[in-house]
Amino acid sequence: MKKIMVGNHAVSWGVMLSRAEVISAYPITPQTSIVEELSVLCADGRLKAKFIPVESEHSAMACVIGASAAGVRTFTATSSQGLALMHEMLHWASGSRLPIVMANVNRSLGSPFNIWGEQSDSLAQRDTGWLQIYCESNQEVLDTVIQAFKIAEKVLLPVMVVLDAFVLSHTAEPVDIPDGNIVGQFLPAYKPQFRIDPQDPRTFACFAPPDFFMEFRYKMQKAMLESQAVCKEVDGQFGEIFGRGYGLVEAYRCEGADLILMTAGAITSTARVAVDALREKGRKVGLLKLRLFRPFPKDEVLEVIRHAEKVAVVDRSLSLGLGGIFAHELRAAMCNEPVRPPIYSYITGLGGRDTTLQTINEIVYQTYERSEPDEQSIWIGMRG
Amino acid sequence: MYEMKELMYSGHLACAGCGATIAMRYALKALGEQTAVVIPACCWSIINGPFPYTALKVPLIHTAFETGASTASGVKAGLEARGDTETTVAAWVGDGGTFDIGIQALSGAAERNDDIIYFCYDNEAYMNTGIQRSSATPFGTWTTTTPSNHPKNQPKKNMMEIMAAHRIPYAATCSVAFPDDMMGKVRKAKSIRGTKFIHIYSPCPTGWKAPSSMAIKIARLAVHSKIFPLYEVEYGDRFNINIAPKNIPVMEYLRMQGRFNHLTEDQIRGIQETVDREWERLLKKALD
Amino acid sequence: MSDQILLNTEKDIPYQPISLGSMEWNKTGTWRYLRPRFDNKVSPCNEGCPAGQDIEAAMVLIGKGRVLEAWDLFKEENPFPGVCGRVCYHPCESSCNRAEFDEAVSINALERFMADTAFKHGRRVGLKREKKKEKVAIIGSGPAGLTCAYHLARLGYGATVFEALPVLGGMLRVGIPEYRLPKKVLEAEIDQILEMGVNTEINTRFGENLLQKDLKEYAAVFLALGNHVSKRLGIPGEDGDWAMSGVEFLRKISLGKEVPLGKRVVIIGGGNTAIDTARTAQRLGAKPSILYRRTREEMPAFPAEIHEAEEEGIDISFLVSPVRLFLEDGVKKLECVKNRLGPPDEDGRRRPVEVKGSNFLLEVDQVFTAIGEDADLTALPKKIGIENHAIPTDERGATKQEGVFAGGDIIQQPHTVVHAIGSGKRAAIFIDCFLQNKKWERVFDAVRIGERGSLSMRRYLLDEKEWETKSTKTVRLQDLNLDYFEPKKRKRPTKAPMAKRQGTFEEVNIGFPEETAVAEAQRCFNCGVCNLCDNCYIFCPDVAIRKENGNNVIDYDHCKGCGICVEECPRDAMIMEEEGR
Repeated sequence: MKKIMVGNHAVSWGVMLSRAEVISAYPITPQTSIVEELSVLCADGRLKAKFIPVESEHSAMACVIGASAAGVRTFTATSSQGLALMHEMLHWASGSRLPIVMANVNRSLGSPFNIWGEQSDSLAQRDTGWLQIYCESNQEVLDTVIQAFKIAEKVLLPVMVVLDAFVLSHTAEPVDIPDGNIVGQFLPAYKPQFRIDPQDPRTFACFAPPDFFMEFRYKMQKAMLESQAVCKEVDGQFGEIFGRGYGLVEAYRCEGADLILMTAGAITSTARVAVDALREKGRKVGLLKLRLFRPFPKDEVLEVIRHAEKVAVVDRSLSLGLGGIFAHELRAAMCNEPVRPPIYSYITGLGGRDTTLQTINEIVYQTYERSEPDEQSIWIGMRG
Repeated sequence: MYEMKELMYSGHLACAGCGATIAMRYALKALGEQTAVVIPACCWSIINGPFPYTALKVPLIHTAFETGASTASGVKAGLEARGDTETTVAAWVGDGGTFDIGIQALSGAAERNDDIIYFCYDNEAYMNTGIQRSSATPFGTWTTTTPSNHPKNQPKKNMMEIMAAHRIPYAATCSVAFPDDMMGKVRKAKSIRGTKFIHIYSPCPTGWKAPSSMAIKIARLAVHSKIFPLYEVEYGDRFNINIAPKNIPVMEYLRMQGRFNHLTEDQIRGIQETVDREWERLLKKALD
Repeated sequence: MSDQILLNTEKDIPYQPISLGSMEWNKTGTWRYLRPRFDNKVSPCNEGCPAGQDIEAAMVLIGKGRVLEAWDLFKEENPFPGVCGRVCYHPCESSCNRAEFDEAVSINALERFMADTAFKHGRRVGLKREKKKEKVAIIGSGPAGLTCAYHLARLGYGATVFEALPVLGGMLRVGIPEYRLPKKVLEAEIDQILEMGVNTEINTRFGENLLQKDLKEYAAVFLALGNHVSKRLGIPGEDGDWAMSGVEFLRKISLGKEVPLGKRVVIIGGGNTAIDTARTAQRLGAKPSILYRRTREEMPAFPAEIHEAEEEGIDISFLVSPVRLFLEDGVKKLECVKNRLGPPDEDGRRRPVEVKGSNFLLEVDQVFTAIGEDADLTALPKKIGIENHAIPTDERGATKQEGVFAGGDIIQQPHTVVHAIGSGKRAAIFIDCFLQNKKWERVFDAVRIGERGSLSMRRYLLDEKEWETKSTKTVRLQDLNLDYFEPKKRKRPTKAPMAKRQGTFEEVNIGFPEETAVAEAQRCFNCGVCNLCDNCYIFCPDVAIRKENGNNVIDYDHCKGCGICVEECPRDAMIMEEEGR
């Protein structure tokens, strides 16, 4: 069944179809309508979940950690300041190996205070042990939420589904709602190996001294790396059942490309149009859409960009002192590869500044112009 | 009392004479096996022992410092979502995690009237990190961050009044020197749906600079000198005093503890006046 | 106890940081440098009882309603609980720690209650040991002699008691009046002694129809002749026929003989005999008055007795001494003089000094003298050696003659029933040592109660191996943790109404009913002896005191030595010691 819905509601419907059991969240623009829609779905009885309206995002994550440890499927959603506030608990969730799914609506972090779209908030949490998947469309958002639960419950690490503020969250698009029963077969009930249970009393999230802590981190790292295969597998299964697969990355018109753009999130749609136009003009430009960011799908990315002459990474994020984050992740991933293209880093669209076809074209132009990449990211779309 | 099952193992890592372990022992005896405990950072995070061991015979989840109440709310919601409405969920939190860093989460849970029992075992300082002052530290106390020549200059925060203001169904103070009183209150709390707050006076011989054998005696003196009266509050409205104090002078209580050694006679007199005044206020509320 | 868990490789570790076992393997006992121990000590009442009774244990039993078992316990030490429960001066109550706290426990009344209950149920005592071949002679059937016979019989010896009077019981029978000690109570307890197989020969006076040579067949002898000879006043006229000693009067009355009294009866003296004489005379229709040469403070009679006499309307005049008795115009007269108190005597009491010219006359019908009694020791061999009207004995009660022991009023000790009973038991123990060639010095340390108390037969009868090294420390009020005790009014026994105390010899002291007795026994603090209040168990932070077969046991593997258990023990039944390394 097709419905016109905004990105936030696509999240809510994805959560409903996944039959989450405990939801806890705190409102923050632009996440609010995720939770509002979930409240409506709960009130209608279409979603039988307990909703705990907590008094801060930090408590929201603590709450879902508690509920997940009790052995039920949990969900929360937040953005920027809220995500930053949750930071401590993001570590706690992943270290406890709990399959929590969270939707993060990408928004900038103050100060200065700004409510519009940017990818720094989720990327600043890239060390916390959460998987991160960046969505391009509202359809992808809904589908990814469902996939996220399956992945999380398999690898026993929490998963963050990321969507752009306003561009996706508040923009209506047609979305195909999968059949609930079929989703139920794809994603059966959550059965954890260990859960809080007086019949089998244990201590969870133990105090681990130096002689054990490293092993737990090692296991997490292993799980994180192995999760890449799981993500691929789940996406493949989803594609077979529902007819829509997205892959870990997507290569768009990269055959024979000498310049490949790399984007993530809604900006990819804009980039697609730009690439089409450039190809019309005879430029051999291609586009790599990065979907799975954590763990970084290095092999899949390399596969696509290996033979390009230049790669231009479009970042809507900034790590102060470093530069655009996707660019630096890519540079780091490639550093030991014998054959690797030079990677050009561009920063644009921070704080919700619009990224248009013009922006993409400018980036392409600059990349062609420069013989080699600047060490520092180049800022596109600045005043004067 | 020995007919009630022991739900705590020996071999835990508490200091000798620890009031917090005595408190846990009574609480678990009263709650029974059908209980899950949430423990944020506090002495009990360590007392319970490291991976791969535990000191309790009920499920326990460790959580971050300020999240005692919120994690407990989540655990309760999770258990109910999977069909278990019987298991009692208890947050077991120190005074730091209740009065200071965790007060927001506690207030949130209380406002939502989440069905948890929130235990605050109060040893009047951040003991686990080395005896630093908290807002539960009484006026005039030495701690490592309020040295003797500059002891704590603010009174102890009145947490019970704060919880009463939330109009939760049940809040009560307990002391480890009165086991029957405490266990009766815990059982009563267990039978009520909604947020219940139990404030347990938990002497710390290590941090209070008293001999390890004095924990119970100090806990008893605290009640009888009116420093820590034992009472219950229902819906923030009905106050009920449980034990009539014997009006022992606070001096007797203060001089048992090295953390008060530096107090002058004037200060002690001031403390006595404050204690008497607070007691009169409580008495008035109880009589209404 | 759980084992330590070994996780050698990363694969052994679960993916989630969850617990796999308990902390029990961790022997936190290694942390300690002081260790607690259960250490029963001596209750002051037990130490204070000259008959060596385990009063504290009896209080526990009565408090639980197990009255007959309490009686059994008392009978291990003392065959006369019914007697003592009526006439003892209860030094136990003066020693009671509760006396300092609020009011002493009514131990004396509880002893009486126990005995009365046992009597009602027809409870009897069991025999202890196999029969031995030796025989022991006991001269005198008072409390000392009969107690000695009782214990010797229980030890298996053949005991024969020789009594000069036609009745058994000594002063208990002929010195203490019926309204204080009913004869049927005394006779019931004497019967239980005789049931042990004790032989008796009444109307047999040592020195007359019983001579030293008659005692040669006995392996040991216990002298318990008692003090039956009234001291003389030393004034003119005291041998007249209207002057008699108080003891002779009481003896005659108790044997059912008539004594002419008249109305105006004067008793000279201030001890129990004087009081008993006066109260007996009153019941027989006289109007007695007592004359005592000092003041009330110096009166040696038991204060309760003085008080009861005054309640019954008996007049006591203080600071009066007799001068002479004479007849004038057919009227019997007693000349008296008033005294004042001068400097103290050898016994510490202020001596009375005549006030010259204060003489006055009293018209009397009968005068009784009751200024003290002595023993008649003339028949005893010189070897025994009399000093100060008493037979010198060592701490065993042994005299200078081998095989001859002495006890009761004829030796140097306070002249009370309970001391007599204690000396009878002591003699039985050391006669046994003498006859079985045991080292008696060891015995003292093993069977003495506390450091200054009397001896325990129950302990003596234990196997020598079981003469456990118990604490000899007596617990005082400051050793107790008073946080656990609340003041509670003492229950006192009721007395008969005044109508029954005039003209009849019905018992004055009625006692109290079972619920009162049980409640009163529960007032006992159980000083120094664990009564399973479970404080140690309840307050232990390490669950290191556990229940095993109902008892509390310390788990030294885990005890950290914090000392809370010892501090919170209400009755000082625990001790904290240095950890031996």
